[in-house]
Amino acid sequence: MNVSESIWIALDAVRSQKMRSSLTLLSIGIGVFAIIASTGITGTLQNALTGQLADLGENSFLIQRTPTIQFGNSWRKYRKRPNISLEQANEFKERMTLTNLISVSNTSPGFTIKSGLESTNPDVSLIGIDEMYFLVNAPMLRDGRPVTEQDVALISNVALVGTDVVKSLFSDGKSLGRSITIKNQEFTIVGELEPKGGVLGQSQDNRVLVPISVYVKYYTPWWDASVDISVKSIAKEAQPATMDEAIGAMRLIRECKPWDENNFELDGNEAIGGQFANLSVAILAVAWISGIGALAAAGIGIMNMMLVSVQERTREIGVRKALGAKRKWIVRQFLVESVTLCQLGGLTGVIGGIGTTWLVSYYLQQSMPNLQFEIPWFAVVFSVVVCTMIGIGFGLYPAYKAAGLDPIEALRHE
Amino acid sequence: MTQPDQQPIISISHIAKVYEMGDEQVHALRDVSLTIGANEYIALMGPSGSGKSTLMNMLGCLDTPSSGTYLFNGENVSDLNDDELAEIRNREIGFVFQTFNLLPRATALQNVELPLVYAGIAKAKRIEMAEQSLTHVGLDDRMDHKPNELSGGQRQRVAIARALVTNPSIILADEPTGNLDSKTGQDIMNLFNELWRAGNTVILVTHEEDIARHAHRIVRMRDGLIESDEANTKPLT
Repeated sequence: MNVSESIWIALDAVRSQKMRSSLTLLSIGIGVFAIIASTGITGTLQNALTGQLADLGENSFLIQRTPTIQFGNSWRKYRKRPNISLEQANEFKERMTLTNLISVSNTSPGFTIKSGLESTNPDVSLIGIDEMYFLVNAPMLRDGRPVTEQDVALISNVALVGTDVVKSLFSDGKSLGRSITIKNQEFTIVGELEPKGGVLGQSQDNRVLVPISVYVKYYTPWWDASVDISVKSIAKEAQPATMDEAIGAMRLIRECKPWDENNFELDGNEAIGGQFANLSVAILAVAWISGIGALAAAGIGIMNMMLVSVQERTREIGVRKALGAKRKWIVRQFLVESVTLCQLGGLTGVIGGIGTTWLVSYYLQQSMPNLQFEIPWFAVVFSVVVCTMIGIGFGLYPAYKAAGLDPIEALRHE
Repeated sequence: MTQPDQQPIISISHIAKVYEMGDEQVHALRDVSLTIGANEYIALMGPSGSGKSTLMNMLGCLDTPSSGTYLFNGENVSDLNDDELAEIRNREIGFVFQTFNLLPRATALQNVELPLVYAGIAKAKRIEMAEQSLTHVGLDDRMDHKPNELSGGQRQRVAIARALVTNPSIILADEPTGNLDSKTGQDIMNLFNELWRAGNTVILVTHEEDIARHAHRIVRMRDGLIESDEANTKPLT
């Protein structure tokens, strides 16, 4: 009876002091929410990304001017690096001896593709590729032909289109041989890509592929005039040697002095996964620290609420003591009350955090079919434990204050 | 008053209570000795400042004397700590207050259960005992009512049921009719008379002569001393 009674008293206190209680409980809720949502979302993404990276093939790696995922102040270090030009990339191809599976490409987003009166949203990715692209990277042709060495050499206006683009432009679903316009340049469609799904919420089917020479000539954006080089080793065992050769070749081409650092980035799948792991650690650290900070601030609010509660119920405490309540009974009653308050706030945070994780997963699932929604159980348990500790920690002083009241004084209290 | 072959319930000898108020010492009780036997019906009277309330707190084991000894059923309670006093109060004393002092959120039954909770009695047994006690004071049809759904007289009956439920050695009633109209007050006094007849020991603390005349022994206090301690040969019934 006593525990459930204390819980009811706690709920009653929340009802009668709506403003003060809701602010305190909100603060606990936010803390718990930050912890659970950040853990849930980064965890879900990491699972999904790991799956996607495996698709790329484990013996591929990428040479870029800057890393795939950057965070913190590292852009200062990267911005002085010279671009990787198409000429450098071609020279790299010639120098590499351990593999010839080398593809040069670059991507920029935000293009509108037109055909006759139809046009797509301005969100199509335009990718410049060479003849090796289909051998090195995963995409498959559904129909038509790939880009050839000749297309690149002659700077031909030919294009391969993703299924999303076909859907937006051609109601009959037929694209081969038709022409499309990209920023006033007319292209003939020579191939259509297999649908692929998406990575991190971005569809990989909303894209148009053109020869890299065409891309460089007309579409190189001012903020990214550098091409990317994908390299596939002939076997997994050859990967380290191939990477070493690639680094040597790039340093030579880009005229790095022996004492200079590499002025390019070489990312294997592991490296990209590792960068994402670093990023999630940073996100988690910020979210957890601010979450725990919010919880600590809420603890002070809880202590205030409990002190007011003790003050308001001085007479009741006197009656209980007169009827034979020992100190431990009074302490227990008030601790149950403060823990109940904390759990109530925590519950809102748990529901909000899990709900947000679910929403984000649901949204990402549109483009990543193999993404799994997972409840971050560790964070939930952690939050419940922390809420209990805060309830006890910050409830202790008010509870002992109540237990130490003189029954005669307390009974006289109006 | 006490039977010679019986140990008294309360035996107070030469107790004094001194409060420190800043530099000043206030002698609330100077030198009080009192013996109360089983099944006595006593009224404790006196104007405010007479030491009446201090003596009542002492008798109720809410306070301990500065000097002198207080034996309750032969046990020295003068030097007990907080928790030990709480145990004595729970087991031996049934309090009835002027302002009833019921818990507002709890039902009549839960209020009567409360001392049994602190006595560590199991729930089923508690409910049975509390129901019995409420029936005893004529509230068998009001067990699930909260205090604000009860009249003043009914609230005081709940408080009396709560005082009786542990079967204490004494019932200590502090101005039990002070907040009631005279008709209801009379009903409550009749209930105390019944309790006394059933074998309970009743101590009434009051400043009203009409109420005190129900008791069989009247102790009057003045300036921290017992002024008189006389039998009431014609108690009101």
